[in-house]
Amino acid sequence: MRNPLVGLGLAALIFGAGAWGQSLSAQDILAGMDKVRNPGQAFRLNNALTEYIRGEARNRVTLVVYARENKQTHQFDNVVRYIDPPRDSGKMVLMNGSNMWFYDPSSKASVRISPQQRLMGQASDGDVVTANLNKDYTARLVGEEKLLDADRQNRDTWHLDLKAATDEAVYSRVEFWIEKGTFRPVKGKFYSDSGRLLKIAYYHKFEEQLGGIRPTETIIIDAVDENLVTTMDNSDMRAQEIPDSWFQRDFLPRLKAD
Amino acid sequence: MLRAALLAVCLLAVAPAAAQDDSDLSRIPGAVENAPPASASPPTHGKYFVEDALGVFSYRGTFAVAYPYGVPSRWANRTSFDMLDQWKLATDLTATFSDRLSATFADGVQFPDDVLRNDPREAYLTWEPLPQAYLEAGRINVRNGVAFGYNPTDFFRTRTTVSQSSADPGALRENRLGTMMVRAERIFDGGTIDVVYAPKLHTPAPLGAPANPLDPKFDQTNGADRFLAAFSFELEEFSPQLLVYHDSGRTKFGLNASHPIGNSIIAYLTWAGGVAPNEIADAIAFGKRTATLPASIPVLPPTSTARAFRNDVSAGAYWTGEDKITVSLEYNYHQAGFSKRDWRNWFAVGADPASASELWFIRGYASDQQDPMSQHQAFARVDWSEPFQIEHFDVNGFVMTSLEDGSCLAQFAAGYDISDAWSVGAYVGGSTGGRSSEWGSLRNAASATIQLVRYF
Repeated sequence: MRNPLVGLGLAALIFGAGAWGQSLSAQDILAGMDKVRNPGQAFRLNNALTEYIRGEARNRVTLVVYARENKQTHQFDNVVRYIDPPRDSGKMVLMNGSNMWFYDPSSKASVRISPQQRLMGQASDGDVVTANLNKDYTARLVGEEKLLDADRQNRDTWHLDLKAATDEAVYSRVEFWIEKGTFRPVKGKFYSDSGRLLKIAYYHKFEEQLGGIRPTETIIIDAVDENLVTTMDNSDMRAQEIPDSWFQRDFLPRLKAD
Repeated sequence: MLRAALLAVCLLAVAPAAAQDDSDLSRIPGAVENAPPASASPPTHGKYFVEDALGVFSYRGTFAVAYPYGVPSRWANRTSFDMLDQWKLATDLTATFSDRLSATFADGVQFPDDVLRNDPREAYLTWEPLPQAYLEAGRINVRNGVAFGYNPTDFFRTRTTVSQSSADPGALRENRLGTMMVRAERIFDGGTIDVVYAPKLHTPAPLGAPANPLDPKFDQTNGADRFLAAFSFELEEFSPQLLVYHDSGRTKFGLNASHPIGNSIIAYLTWAGGVAPNEIADAIAFGKRTATLPASIPVLPPTSTARAFRNDVSAGAYWTGEDKITVSLEYNYHQAGFSKRDWRNWFAVGADPASASELWFIRGYASDQQDPMSQHQAFARVDWSEPFQIEHFDVNGFVMTSLEDGSCLAQFAAGYDISDAWSVGAYVGGSTGGRSSEWGSLRNAASATIQLVRYF
């Protein structure tokens, strides 16, 4: 166990007692939630993004995400490959810390992207990739709150306020509501650098995935465009050995569809 | 007492509070609950589409240097079938094919030679004998460089243009012919080595030579023996790439680097340098070599034909804001290009109509090489994704400005994705400047194109 705080979080997860929560720091709670969201091994998964405009499903984007925890930074490196829609087929995004590239097979060109460009799109590249929030954010416990989840069930939650602690953090500020005892994320609010609320996310459909009960659907409500809601559905999460060489720009043209 | 008060405050801080405002839950559409489960294994596929583009053009009527060619059609309609796909032939062997077949109708065109054009962009095999070691053979589009307006290290860009709607340099790079070559690449942890040999397969075709519609155009892409070696590595987030390129007895060296600045800016630099003649001498030599120009013709406008070490530089940065606006600014230096004096000479010599063909040949050659005409040029581009919260709508515009005379080439484009399968786009462009300026001396004054794309 590399990080004793994560160990504490896991212990709380195992015993599931509210009393543990009283003694946990906000950072422990965040680490516990990371363990729920992210498997402890390299993996790939399918990600289907469905966009609803005024309540009607309009567009669907299908991605395959390959992720692996970086041994040095303990943060996840990600490669994202677009499968659908046809106009985007074969495009890829690499996120390796602040080293981020976009590859388009039509131009055979890799273009470097800035952290701000991760936020483009309703469910942005920053949303689809895997990240250990505990590494990128400093958490503060705001309080304990009762909250309705996406199924409108009452949940007892810890309310955390996260501030970006590294340049790799996708958002400058995030609020999270995490279910006490299970460490499951219930709701998140994501803010821009200027403090504007960008998105509200509800975590949904908890199922067994790669040795843990994880949210398989995230419902993202656009806080800027009130007509827009996007669902992000994860499926077919599988362990996969991923070498270091995958996480550099020159590998992007070489990534084969599986 | 203080300790007790602090404890009370702490307990209050973690005590269950009133339920949060859950009004945002009401925004989740009912359709979300009824949505079918995600596909377990989405099928991968290539990119296939049909595109129709209808354009109208306006031309200047008077010129500082007379045009030696007839006035082209004021309209054109191009329909293209475009494909890019990859097939796995064995565990370690893949085949890639990319092609564009176009039919263009306009006033005065003759069927089929003027109407049909097939551009086989890529056709090659990739063998991976060892993990992350690749051997490739066939027609491959190898693209290097991190700049947008002019990429001096994009050595295989020359003579590769494919018919398309946009004048954007980015679109030119996206849609071009590859080169027949063999290529070896090794990707290791932290770097990549790339070695390319592109053999001479044909004598170089003259500029503007008529081609059979199904001609693979090896006489454009493989008119000389060429060699490229590139080494990429990571260094303090600069992602440098060093290149050596050899073409027809000339060796060029190159460097690409980029670096993030803060949260919103990427800065980049690309440089290439080598011993070469200037653009005028190079163009005239090519014209004589391909018998387009008589062997005895003098070099006009007058210039030194000596070879010297010449530099090409593109330096720029792009910034992305919270409103999904990206602004790119770039400076281009092409030492072999026209200086102010060269431009003065070009227009002065061009006053004699007898010299017009040779003078326009030089400009056609630079365009075919995708080189800037002037030594100093600025490129600015703005991309705005989903302006005014119009989903699936994008606008962009660019301005290419000659810093020698202030004339410009500009284009505004808008695109809307009607659905997953259909997109519509529009391009409006034009050039500004006096009759004796780089862009103002061209015949093409303005154009407008609408384009419909159906993806499969």
